[in-house]
Amino acid sequence: MLEGIFVDGLIFSIMVIGVLISYRILDFADLTCDGSFATGAAVATMAIVNGTGLATALLLASGAGAIAGVITATIHNRLKVPGLLAGILTMTMLYSINIRILGGRANVPLLRIETLYTRFPEIFSMLSNPWALLVGTLIIVLIVKELIDVFFRTDLGIAIGALGSNEQMIVSMGIDPKLLKVIGMALSNGLIALSGGLLAQYQGFADANLGQGMVVQGLAAIMIGEFLFDSNKISLITLRVIFGAIIYKALMFLGRYYGYYINLTPSDLKLLTGILVIISLIVAQTRNAASSADARKKALRRNKERREALDKEAGHVEN
Amino acid sequence: MLKIEQISKVFYPGTVNEKTAIEYIDLTVNDGDFITVVGSNGSGKSTLFNLISGTFPVTGGKITLNGKDVTNTPEYKRAFTIGRIFQDPTKGTAAQMSIEDNMVTALYKGMKGLKITLNASKRGYFKEELKQLSMGLEDRLKDNVGLLSGGQRQALTLLMTVLSRPQMLLLDEHTAALDPRNAQIVMDLTTQFIERYKLTSLMVTHNMQHAIDFGNRLIMMDEGRIILDLTAEEKKSLTVQKLVKMFKSIKNREYASDEDLLTT
Repeated sequence: MLEGIFVDGLIFSIMVIGVLISYRILDFADLTCDGSFATGAAVATMAIVNGTGLATALLLASGAGAIAGVITATIHNRLKVPGLLAGILTMTMLYSINIRILGGRANVPLLRIETLYTRFPEIFSMLSNPWALLVGTLIIVLIVKELIDVFFRTDLGIAIGALGSNEQMIVSMGIDPKLLKVIGMALSNGLIALSGGLLAQYQGFADANLGQGMVVQGLAAIMIGEFLFDSNKISLITLRVIFGAIIYKALMFLGRYYGYYINLTPSDLKLLTGILVIISLIVAQTRNAASSADARKKALRRNKERREALDKEAGHVEN
Repeated sequence: MLKIEQISKVFYPGTVNEKTAIEYIDLTVNDGDFITVVGSNGSGKSTLFNLISGTFPVTGGKITLNGKDVTNTPEYKRAFTIGRIFQDPTKGTAAQMSIEDNMVTALYKGMKGLKITLNASKRGYFKEELKQLSMGLEDRLKDNVGLLSGGQRQALTLLMTVLSRPQMLLLDEHTAALDPRNAQIVMDLTTQFIERYKLTSLMVTHNMQHAIDFGNRLIMMDEGRIILDLTAEEKKSLTVQKLVKMFKSIKNREYASDEDLLTT
């Protein structure tokens, strides 16, 4: 049972790293992921059903997600519309495309077919079934995390980080910000689709509605992670995202499992997620306000000291 | 180096808000020139810089950079030759990134690759470069730039701008938002870098004394035109009073000629 939460959280954490890249690193409010998550699930499922290898299926899934990201970024770049609108457009179009990918159905099962999650217990045969799933997922997540950490230490990755912080700086450095956005969005949605592809295999089906509300869930996980510790190092930022994702899934599990005591139904979980994000925003804001009030006080004190020093100097001159 | 021919800029053309910011300016900037630019608010100094660096397109005219027509070249491509520093110290650096990450981004112009170039020898180089600022930043490579003061940030911006060795520097009142002490430090660094790297520079300033003291040429702008272009020779005997007087006499002449037009 407990292992299940961790597997769920770990698969989810890859999606959250994708959301982290668009929202936090690129500063691009991207809603594509509601569509690209399901795209990843659909592509992986159909690839497996049609007998491609498991690795190929996952590669195809993230490739499809990356293309979705490129489309969003291109709409934003070419038509000069806000990222939010570009993302909504792609997401809406993806809903139709996902059903097409699934062969005109809204739901395709992966029963009696070999998936990663039937393979893991075979590979880690010394472990019990739930633990094998957990270890297998953990290895995938750690590989993804390591690759992302390395990427954001390369010159290209650092430049993408700078773009989110200050676009003018990137232009001044002779880099086309549009191209960086395309790369960043491809990476972000590629990860999101990869996560979708894993989830489809774990739960044994792909569903056209799988991505609904993913953005908000991802943001909730990011914010939970940000409460854990403060850092500007990418390896720690991705680490806290993984923790945040697992904690989020645990909270939702608690909500589902014990919620009926207070009359909560599974359909209330989206409401809870939204409230969780709002609470996180309020806490972050009060924190910010407190620290800027502190900074203001310090600045006033410094000003006063400077004033006094200047007055003293002026006094000396007059004397 | 830079040749501007008959450029003009009209904002919101065809609407009630139509405003002519630049009116048929001609300007030739020679290699090694250090030109100070003065003029009242709204005279078109910043617009001129925006047109030179390509932030927005010209309405008419032609801009040639190193003999190449760049009139329609996007800003990021012109940035290979032109380094620009803004009045706002936050515009040149990424606040949420460390000093070393900022510097590694600034090290060379153009698209970045998938290589990790930030290593011990780079850090050593950055430290050496930061020492020139004498602000103690060499010990704070891992600190976020957002933690620095305005003066420190502007000095870092200046250093980062020259790190990639541009040929030309556009300084848009880059010391105006700083307190006098930091403004002095940043100005000293500016002249040092301009001399050492032989940068062709244009500097907008509201400080008349700076405009006279620095550079080998002075231009004055008013209502979207260049109304005064003084050589180094003419600058030598210049004082703030004389400059103000010149400005007033040019303005008066214009008013007079306007009146002439109305009366005849």
